[in-house]
Amino acid sequence: MQAMQILINALVLGSLYACIAIGFSLVWGVLNVINLIHGSFIVLGAYLAFGLYQSLHLSPWYAIFVAAPLFFALGYVIQRLILNRVITAPVLVTLTLTFGLDLILNNAMIYFFTADYRKLTLSPPLGSVSIAGAVVPVDRLIATATALLLTGLLYLLLRRSRIGRAIVAVRLDRDAAVLMGVHVPSIYAVAFGLGAALAGCAGVLMALIFPISPLTSSAYLGKAFVVCVLGGLGSVSGALAGGLLLALVESVGSTYLGPSHATTLSFLLLIIFLILRPQGLVGRKGFE
Amino acid sequence: MTRSNIALLILIACVAALPLFGGAYALRLGTIACMYAVLALSWNVVGGFAGYPSFATAAFFGFGAYFAGVLMGKGWPLAAAVVAAAIAALIAATLLGAVLLRLRGHYFAIASLSLAEVLREVVNNATDLTGGGMGLNIPLASGSGVMAEATFYFYAMWGVMLLTAIMVIVVAQTKLGFALNCIRQNETASSMVGLNTTLAKSIGFGLSACFVAAAGGIYAAWVHYIDPSDVFDILYSVKPIVMALMGGLGSPLGVACGAFLYLGLEEVVWRNYIQIHTGVLGVLIVLLLLFLPHGLTSLRFDRLRRRAKHA
Amino acid sequence: MSASWVARCLRLSVPLGALALAAGAFAGPAAAEDVIKIGAPLPITGPLAPEAVKQQQGYDLWAEQANKAGGINVGGKKYKVEIVYTDYQSNTPRAVQATEQLITQNNVNFLFAAFGSGAAKAASTVSEKYKVPTLAATASSVQVYDQGYKYLFGTFTPNDTLTTPLTKIIKAQVPDVKKVAILARNDLFPLAIAQEMEKSAKDNGFEVVYFEKYAIGTLDHSAALSAIKALSPQWIFVTGYTNDLLQIRKQMVDQQMKAPVVSMIAGPAYQEFIDALGKSAENVTSAAWWHPAEQYDGKDIFGSTANFVKLFKEKYKSEPDYGQASAALCGALFQLAIEKAGSIDRDKVRDALASLDVTTFFGPVKFGANGQINSLDPPVFQIQGGKPVVLFPQAIKQGELKVGVE
Repeated sequence: MQAMQILINALVLGSLYACIAIGFSLVWGVLNVINLIHGSFIVLGAYLAFGLYQSLHLSPWYAIFVAAPLFFALGYVIQRLILNRVITAPVLVTLTLTFGLDLILNNAMIYFFTADYRKLTLSPPLGSVSIAGAVVPVDRLIATATALLLTGLLYLLLRRSRIGRAIVAVRLDRDAAVLMGVHVPSIYAVAFGLGAALAGCAGVLMALIFPISPLTSSAYLGKAFVVCVLGGLGSVSGALAGGLLLALVESVGSTYLGPSHATTLSFLLLIIFLILRPQGLVGRKGFE
Repeated sequence: MTRSNIALLILIACVAALPLFGGAYALRLGTIACMYAVLALSWNVVGGFAGYPSFATAAFFGFGAYFAGVLMGKGWPLAAAVVAAAIAALIAATLLGAVLLRLRGHYFAIASLSLAEVLREVVNNATDLTGGGMGLNIPLASGSGVMAEATFYFYAMWGVMLLTAIMVIVVAQTKLGFALNCIRQNETASSMVGLNTTLAKSIGFGLSACFVAAAGGIYAAWVHYIDPSDVFDILYSVKPIVMALMGGLGSPLGVACGAFLYLGLEEVVWRNYIQIHTGVLGVLIVLLLLFLPHGLTSLRFDRLRRRAKHA
Repeated sequence: MSASWVARCLRLSVPLGALALAAGAFAGPAAAEDVIKIGAPLPITGPLAPEAVKQQQGYDLWAEQANKAGGINVGGKKYKVEIVYTDYQSNTPRAVQATEQLITQNNVNFLFAAFGSGAAKAASTVSEKYKVPTLAATASSVQVYDQGYKYLFGTFTPNDTLTTPLTKIIKAQVPDVKKVAILARNDLFPLAIAQEMEKSAKDNGFEVVYFEKYAIGTLDHSAALSAIKALSPQWIFVTGYTNDLLQIRKQMVDQQMKAPVVSMIAGPAYQEFIDALGKSAENVTSAAWWHPAEQYDGKDIFGSTANFVKLFKEKYKSEPDYGQASAALCGALFQLAIEKAGSIDRDKVRDALASLDVTTFFGPVKFGANGQINSLDPPVFQIQGGKPVVLFPQAIKQGELKVGVE
């Protein structure tokens, strides 16, 4: 009974983690950039959902359709105007640049929205359902389903569409892609825009579940990091596998060792993975 | 010894004169400046010479602060506790380095980043020894006056900075520095020509930990109270990198200047923009990276060198 | 060649020198003749930012009232009040630095301590060195005051004064309670209060079946809550800050956890906690150092509690909570002490503070030998119908304890 509850908790939480990490993973895999603004994008998405619900009573399900194009445009512009200028520089430079951008965005959010914690409370509340003897809140279930749907859509996009295949091509071999006539800067911008759009959508979903404040951005970023490494960089299925593994380790660790050890455990796992299996659960070798 | 290294030592010697001019607050800033220089110079061994993007500085700093703090709580004198912390960090980091430095690029960055997270949680959970989330009190050394104490900690931190600078200069001039340079340029090739890259990297990692831990120990005694989220703050890992980028990667003089410049910027921005100082700092970082990608000093050196050639 | 090297060094020294000059130029001008400056280091950015706003509201309200009345009367001469704020980024070392900056650069006369127990403790070493009287509005842990400092005073009674009355009420009115589960944030204040809770639960014959800490910044608590649920305790006691408690309470509802008694510290006293949770905040019990329902007739500038609440509502359009009230109290106490001392001499004001024995809108104020207040009875309250309703002390009791949190 309790084991079932732990398992279901982990499955649901794992999908949410995957949703948080997937845009981060895409950017990392394709652009080779550790995008530290990702956490703040998620929070911004959450504020968007909150604002739309408060002012227009627009339910978060529809807010996703507003968030996706807005964040895509934001990401596209940031990549084109700023990031693209240093895209060939070493890891440190791009990383520090996104750190600086994150400072700006986060401070702007504190300034305009204040740091107070807000909560998007649907009325009437959605309640919980019982599955196989375990209690699962409906809002999490819906968020999980949406997260899986988004992940599926991204997978299809990367596999089936022209632009998607171009993105994959750039990730696998940039030089060969150039020779095949792919315009790399615009692919970079599209990939970064997609990453931002995924972050924005994740933020809309998180608004349902977690309190909203600019201060939570680092928590999201931290999860995205761990999930990416556990699952393997830049792959959609990797983010899903990584998210599930992380959630499972946290849930089991927290139940049997106490919640204060859950974080330690997840980071130890991360280091072990880095050393023994840097390509991640489902990643391919060679993206170092 | 190269000219820029002599200039670095002169700069450090000039800093030592600060107590002649400044009051207690200037000394506090001076102490922080020396601390930043220690962090940045140490980071430079791994990040600048060997080209490994290390985010482990916060881990070493927190380790040193807690190691020395716990010892001082047990009655050890400051100097002994700090030396013990430095030696412990040297050994631990050298051993860890052998494992972690097999990773490259982003993977190494993340592994080093998580080191601080793991250590913080370990300290957080070892409540009996470290006080956990309640923090650790370090007993006051003595009831000496405001200025005497400020001067004492300033010179203690300055001393560590001097030792760090000497270490960096010595490393740069010996075989170790050469090896680290080779590793940065092409690690695979270096190991093929018979260089023991693992040994060189590990020693480099250990040396970069040793003085940071010492600075952490002095810091703990200086503020009398530490808690895990403060000393394992991720910013201690990020700031040295920004400083090094500001000053110019690899050059010890540039890195030290970067540290002082960063502190100056931080202080000025912090004082003048209460609500938006982190945003302003972010704008400065972005502008710096976009328009002066090689830092302030390298730009100037290049121009001078070119001019010298023309002459 | 050597000339170019000198030139290089010179060029390098220009930006550094400019910086040094800039740093010097910012040294604040000396305090103007008839203004009393009080420094307030606050965590305006970083994780504690929401708390800084509350503190600032309290200080500002007091300063506004004091200046409206013409200022503080110092031996017949009126001094205006000015509060100098700095941001310490929710970072303890910065708090220490900010405190020293306020003393040496801004030349403040007195200080409000940094927020919370940890930062207040670290920063008090500096104010003690400079012998600047400091009032801490939000430091409750006794560890802050056990350093033998003479210049630090605090307006919160020790943590056990919150947990002991709460335990007594539960024991007297809910005889079903046998098992207690405690979940605490691994941070100075929340952990300290959880340990007090464990002690007073054991003293009162309860069985503590679960005592665990969660790390700062934990996003999801479902595993810990499932573990608690499996133990089916009758009393669930959770500590943390508003965001943690919001999240934990929401997940308790999600997991359909029910218990006769659920207590949370510190959050239910804040209006935003009640607003954000709506119905699920119902019947949550808590304790705080002050409550707007209190009825004291004070000798301070605010006078009665009701008057303070009225002034606060006029200015900020919301109900004051204990954090804001305590901040305003610190200002009012400085005013009382300065007027009593008839001087702005730091040592005289310090002595006046130490010997205060006065009733304020916040309650009777008298500091113990360690500097911590020892004259208050913190109220225990419960959220009923979207409002905090006082259960204890008897004198200001507004309702009866309701059992059952769904």
